[in-house]
Amino acid sequence: MNGASGSGASDGVGASRRESVLQRRLSLADMLDLPSFVEVVRSFSELYRVGIKVMDTAGDKLADVKVGHGDFCSYVFGFPEGRSRCTATVARVKDGPVALVQGARPASGDGAEAAGIIALPCFTGLRYLVMPVRWEGDELGRVILGPFTPEELADLPPSLTDISGVDLSRAHELVARVRRVPERTAAQVLVHFGQVLAALVASGQRAFLATQLHIEAMLETHRELEANNARLAQANTRLKELDRLKSTFLGTVSHELRTPLASIIGYSEMLAEGLAGALNPEQLLYVRTIVEKGESLLNLISSILDLSQIEAGRLRLVMGPVDLGSVIQTAVSSVAPQAQRKGVELEVCLPPLPQPRLAADADKLRQVVVNLLANAVKFTSSGGRVSVVMSEATAQNELAAPGYRVSVEDTGMGIREDQFENIFQSFYQVDGSSTREHGGAGLGLAIVKSLVEGHGGRVSVESEFGRGSRFTVVLPLQPPLSEHGGFSALAPTPSPSGHDRF
Amino acid sequence: MQLNHAQRELTLKIVYYGPGLSGKTTNLRHLHAKASPEVRGRLLTVETHDDRTLFFDLLPVFFSTSSGFKVKVKLFTVPGQVIHNATRRIVLQGADAVVFIADSRRGATADNNAYWRNLQENMKENNLDPSQVPVVIQFNKKDLPDARTDAEIEESRRRGGEAVVGAVALRGEGVLETFHAVAQAAYRRLDTRAHLARNLGLTEAEFLGQIFRRMDLTGTALATMYGRAAGEARSGDGR
Ligand SMILES: Nc1nc2c(ncn2[C@@H]2O[C@H](COP(=O)(O)OP(=O)(O)OP(=O)(O)O)[C@@H](O)[C@H]2O)c(=O)[nH]1
Ligand SMILES: [Mg+2]
Repeated sequence: MNGASGSGASDGVGASRRESVLQRRLSLADMLDLPSFVEVVRSFSELYRVGIKVMDTAGDKLADVKVGHGDFCSYVFGFPEGRSRCTATVARVKDGPVALVQGARPASGDGAEAAGIIALPCFTGLRYLVMPVRWEGDELGRVILGPFTPEELADLPPSLTDISGVDLSRAHELVARVRRVPERTAAQVLVHFGQVLAALVASGQRAFLATQLHIEAMLETHRELEANNARLAQANTRLKELDRLKSTFLGTVSHELRTPLASIIGYSEMLAEGLAGALNPEQLLYVRTIVEKGESLLNLISSILDLSQIEAGRLRLVMGPVDLGSVIQTAVSSVAPQAQRKGVELEVCLPPLPQPRLAADADKLRQVVVNLLANAVKFTSSGGRVSVVMSEATAQNELAAPGYRVSVEDTGMGIREDQFENIFQSFYQVDGSSTREHGGAGLGLAIVKSLVEGHGGRVSVESEFGRGSRFTVVLPLQPPLSEHGGFSALAPTPSPSGHDRF
Repeated sequence: MQLNHAQRELTLKIVYYGPGLSGKTTNLRHLHAKASPEVRGRLLTVETHDDRTLFFDLLPVFFSTSSGFKVKVKLFTVPGQVIHNATRRIVLQGADAVVFIADSRRGATADNNAYWRNLQENMKENNLDPSQVPVVIQFNKKDLPDARTDAEIEESRRRGGEAVVGAVALRGEGVLETFHAVAQAAYRRLDTRAHLARNLGLTEAEFLGQIFRRMDLTGTALATMYGRAAGEARSGDGR
């Protein structure tokens, strides 16, 4: 749009965005498919044997078809005086106002007035009709029909015959090639042309705007996606960082807690053993309680430390050939005192023959079995039984690879099926009350899961509520290229803005 | 608004916004049918085969003022389908006033609210201040079962500052009244900002009169306000 000036402060659009084509004033050329339009003009011109020119308001020609008058006009143009008169006429037709001024008069003919058609004479006696191209209240250009010889023209006028050097018989011969037609007929042709043009502009405008808007919408969508991606990436980075900080923090704190706690336990044990003098029975009972509670606190802190190291991705598995059977036996012996105190029977069932070693971190595997056994003992009441069964090295469906299957089974209170997923999450307790009754922070199974998965294995649970549970760990003989279980964080969903209006 | 002093032209933009199928295109069709051809252009629609607006509809309304200014009011509709949000945002660019076409049915409340929020968001994206751009709410499809009652619509009017009009666009009821309300609101806002009356000699009465005297207002309350010429418009409309 030429020379348009926006006004007011908030007319601007978003800085990053272009102004839409809908905000622009379209030119005639925007709305016409020029090659096909030129063809329409040509066939029109040829049908009526009269020249048609279409120009936009900037004076640019969109179509220009000359029919019949070329030779006559060139002949006249060949005389200096003819040339200057011709130039003046053409200037008036092309650039003068399409209004009843500067020698124009209304064209005769049906609908000519409504269409705003003016008639402009040429000094040769020929004539032009000029019609404005109006579109939705705007003037977008003009259509020039002619020159033609008006039917009513009797003879060549003095303004032509005066010109020195003009050969009248030659002029007559050439003017005969120019289409002779009544003005009203010519005006009707022009009105008709105007209707065709309006239809072409309507469909052209529609096609142009649709295409442009399609492109704009695509760019806008693209921009939107990119902005969203950037936001998500940022949120993701922040969450990862937070997660790492949390784990580091927990690791540090656990360390700081463990050191003094170890001293408390150590000194208490020395007291209990009478190294600082004999204790009376009541003092002994108190000191032993300190040791016991201190140890359970230490266990808890160790678990937190393990888990935070796993989550921080700092847990390194020290891989080596491991005899799983002896790992299990060591684990059993370390929970045996606990089981004995509680009156829970411990049963171990290993393959009769020596089994191939697996590649694993022996300490971590022992921790897995200890955690499972300790858990089982914890939730089994006196008179119950906990058993651990190890398979031979065979193909394992879960892994699509050969490996071992270790199950730890108890006759405890069991777990409801809807809890199966949750119990492997950090800090999860099957129900709030069991925390107090059974102690622990709910970290054991989360650690088991992380460690087993760190070995490329799987852990699962089956249980009949009230009758007991069975945890099964499947371990590959050879772990896949080592990687630890990934921890994913969900981006917070953006809070919806604005209020309900309806 | 685009004001071109050199060419003595003023262009206003009014956008019909709202959920899919709430009746935006139906509003424009009715306005097109009721306006005399001398004040309106063709109705440009870009639709899919099942009559859903694909990019926008456009109905230009135009007139020349007594002081020789050319005024053009461009009425747009946005596509209501959820996926066309980018297009909605583009069409909303530079709006001087908005008509929010809501579906009166109670079951459509969540949708209305979602699009209302979407309108606020897209205004902000376009640097339009929602508190500055006048909005007229049309409760359309009042003919359907489950539609809110007049009392409920009245209640909704009181809950916000927007003008509220009940409508059955399919039968043309409320369509001209909605357009009148939004044209008036747009004029008042622009007069405040650009002093149309003082600088252009264009008063509210002339602005509205130039348009509504050339609309067929038969059967609406507007007929008495612009009555004299309603008949003229009818006889002048050949199509
Ligand atoms: N019963 C009833 N139907 C209506 C009314 N107004 C519009 N409709 C119908 O609702 C349907 C959708 O109308 P449109 O005007 O195409 O809706 P739109 O808001 O333009 O929809 P999109 O272009 O998809 O955003 C059409 O079948 C209309 O005939 C009304 O007042 N009452
Ligand atoms: Mg629509």
